[in-house]
Amino acid sequence: MKKLGSSIRHVQLLAASSALIALLAAPPGRAADEVTSERLLNADKEQGNWLLHHKDYSAHRFSTLNQINRETIKNLKVAWTLQLGGLEGGGIWTHGGLEGTPIAENGFLYVTDGWGSVYKIDARDGNGKLLWKMDPKTDHDWAGAVACCGVDNRGVALWDDLVISHTLDGRLIATNKDTGAIAWQRQVADPDKGEVVTGAPLVVRDMAITGVAGAEYGIRGWIAATDLKTQKETWRTYTIPTKGEPGIETWQDSNNAAATGGGSTWVTGSYDPSSNTIIWGVGNPGPDWDSEYRPGDNLYTDSSIGLDADTGKIKWHFQHTPNDPYDYDSVAENVLVDTTSNNRPVKLALEADRNGFAYAIDRTNGEFVWGLPFVKKVTWTKGLNSETGKPVEYDPKLPVQHYNPQATPSRQNLETDICPGNMGGKNWPPTAFNPTLNLWYIPVIESCNHIKVEVQQPGSFKPREFFTGGGPKENGRITGSITAIDVTTGKEVGKAETRYPMLGGILATPELVFAGEPDGTIMAIDAKTLKVLWEFNCGCGVNAPPMTFTAGGKQYIAILAGQGGVWDKWFIEATPELKAIQPGSMLFVFGL
Amino acid sequence: MRTIGLLTMLLLALVVPIALGQPVTTADTQGKSVFRKANCIGCHKWDGSGGGGYGGDALSLRRTQLGQEQIVMIVQCGRPGTGMPYHLRGAYDDPNKPCYGMDRQQIGGHIPPEPTIYLRADDIKAVVAYVVDNIKGKGETTHAGCIAFWGAGSRVCNVYQDTGHEAAKPGG
Repeated sequence: MKKLGSSIRHVQLLAASSALIALLAAPPGRAADEVTSERLLNADKEQGNWLLHHKDYSAHRFSTLNQINRETIKNLKVAWTLQLGGLEGGGIWTHGGLEGTPIAENGFLYVTDGWGSVYKIDARDGNGKLLWKMDPKTDHDWAGAVACCGVDNRGVALWDDLVISHTLDGRLIATNKDTGAIAWQRQVADPDKGEVVTGAPLVVRDMAITGVAGAEYGIRGWIAATDLKTQKETWRTYTIPTKGEPGIETWQDSNNAAATGGGSTWVTGSYDPSSNTIIWGVGNPGPDWDSEYRPGDNLYTDSSIGLDADTGKIKWHFQHTPNDPYDYDSVAENVLVDTTSNNRPVKLALEADRNGFAYAIDRTNGEFVWGLPFVKKVTWTKGLNSETGKPVEYDPKLPVQHYNPQATPSRQNLETDICPGNMGGKNWPPTAFNPTLNLWYIPVIESCNHIKVEVQQPGSFKPREFFTGGGPKENGRITGSITAIDVTTGKEVGKAETRYPMLGGILATPELVFAGEPDGTIMAIDAKTLKVLWEFNCGCGVNAPPMTFTAGGKQYIAILAGQGGVWDKWFIEATPELKAIQPGSMLFVFGL
Repeated sequence: MRTIGLLTMLLLALVVPIALGQPVTTADTQGKSVFRKANCIGCHKWDGSGGGGYGGDALSLRRTQLGQEQIVMIVQCGRPGTGMPYHLRGAYDDPNKPCYGMDRQQIGGHIPPEPTIYLRADDIKAVVAYVVDNIKGKGETTHAGCIAFWGAGSRVCNVYQDTGHEAAKPGG
């Protein structure tokens, strides 16, 4: 008995020791892994993690990690790769692609493929081990037939012990972070109306904020908040007003054009906790190119809007391209920066618009502060009014704006070239901001293209059919650049030209800027001089933004690679060499 | 019982497609399969209605006046100056110049785009027969036609139903 008792005590001691060892060796415990509002508010301070889609609520995409720096970058090599899925086609699309930003927490990565499968990867020991995959069984044909533009999903959000994600067929899904089992799901968007969801959710307090795509299919856009505790909708704010609401006077037609007025919201926004304001970009009006179908300024299309996070009420707006006849969405992220202008402190929201101009607006009231072109060629306007920020040709009394009539698609100018092309000077790929250098880096598409207008008649709209009023055609080479703007002066300070358009987005670190090109080139450039310091070609199409994280105290750079979106379907003639790029689905992780 | 069950299944197999207004033959099945795998849907849509928007104007195969041989030629050779690809391997490299009497050099910059996949002669024959028999001249798209293409239960067909559907209920 003594011996047995001793054995029991020995076993107990061993068990206790094992538990202690396990506790020390294991990742931080459950409590540390629960994502709270407090952690999200301070996401920029969790140096080795990347907790929010844009790194922090200000959408800086800036990491203070600096092991990989100007001196060490030459030693950066592939640490590991992981093959993902979601390559299959559906609807009008031949394949899926990768546009997501990985989320990193305590050495674990969470990524998505184009059809919305979520992958949890253990990256703690310098390798990537797939722990689970949540396949939401997205309805490929139902969603893929109305997915303009491409089979895309830009990533997840974390909340409590759940991973929050979207699917192309309009669902918001909460997945158990440990097991990969779906905890609950809710239908937020309706593909029967042409609505699909491609953006990553933004978690604000206990809400998941969802944006929608579908302006090319005649949707009436919205932003919706789901209470993650009750799984019920807290608010839904339409980006196109209806009768009796402010802004309806900017829809002056007799076609009920507002009902199919577009105004998508498919890029994840930002959040200013100091004023409890969600700031979000709104897309183009529909039909895209027949602006005479919808006379008036068409609020809140092509605008940045500030919404009360509790109610979704629109507090302010700034519209970039009233009565847009070009497809110049403002579905860009707004980068929140506190700085000085004319020796007074200002709270800015920065936005690089598809119309080719970069804007700084006062995010307390939506007033224009400064703006400048960030592309090499703009033909649709002579510039911005320095007081109002509107195009100089804008006349609020006119129902239909023609700006520079020779370079503006209209019923009087049924075919014309526009610069930037309709993909915009910058599309969805996100910018990054270095707060030490006060430099804002824009991933640029240097382009023009040809637009043909198709006059729409009242009654011509059909659900789930394109409602674009025309279409684009490529008629020349499209290149790209990373353009840097000093936000204290509002001036361009450099442009690193790239052979291909920037279709992936940017990461900033103290000394470096990272980006990928659609020919597979992944690069690091000097944050000050913009000179290329490092390059690696993955042999695949890069269509996603890089990010950085730590595991085991070591810094890594991660980027998803897999040609997605619309480029290979509709824009490839502008970059014919990219026809050689094959669809793919791979996560690349680099380390020193 | 087994015999009755078998007979019932055979009867259903014969009757159900006819009831949907789309008699299905082996050639149809092959043609529809080619229609999907060659991504004709990508521009002409599943019902062949085509239309404008991104990607340019795709011809409506429902309203086309082209005859079977002309459609075969277009599928083989594409339409120069448009987004319609050629699908015959070596279409513009064959010394016999089967496409508009032109080779790659002669057609120059007007060469149609390369296809998603090349099609064999019997695939081209099958897909054109499918278009002529099931799409051309069929008028407005119907719910029955949609179900015949996608199968029962497909949510793609929701919008063609006269009455409501079981799709998403936003705001709920």
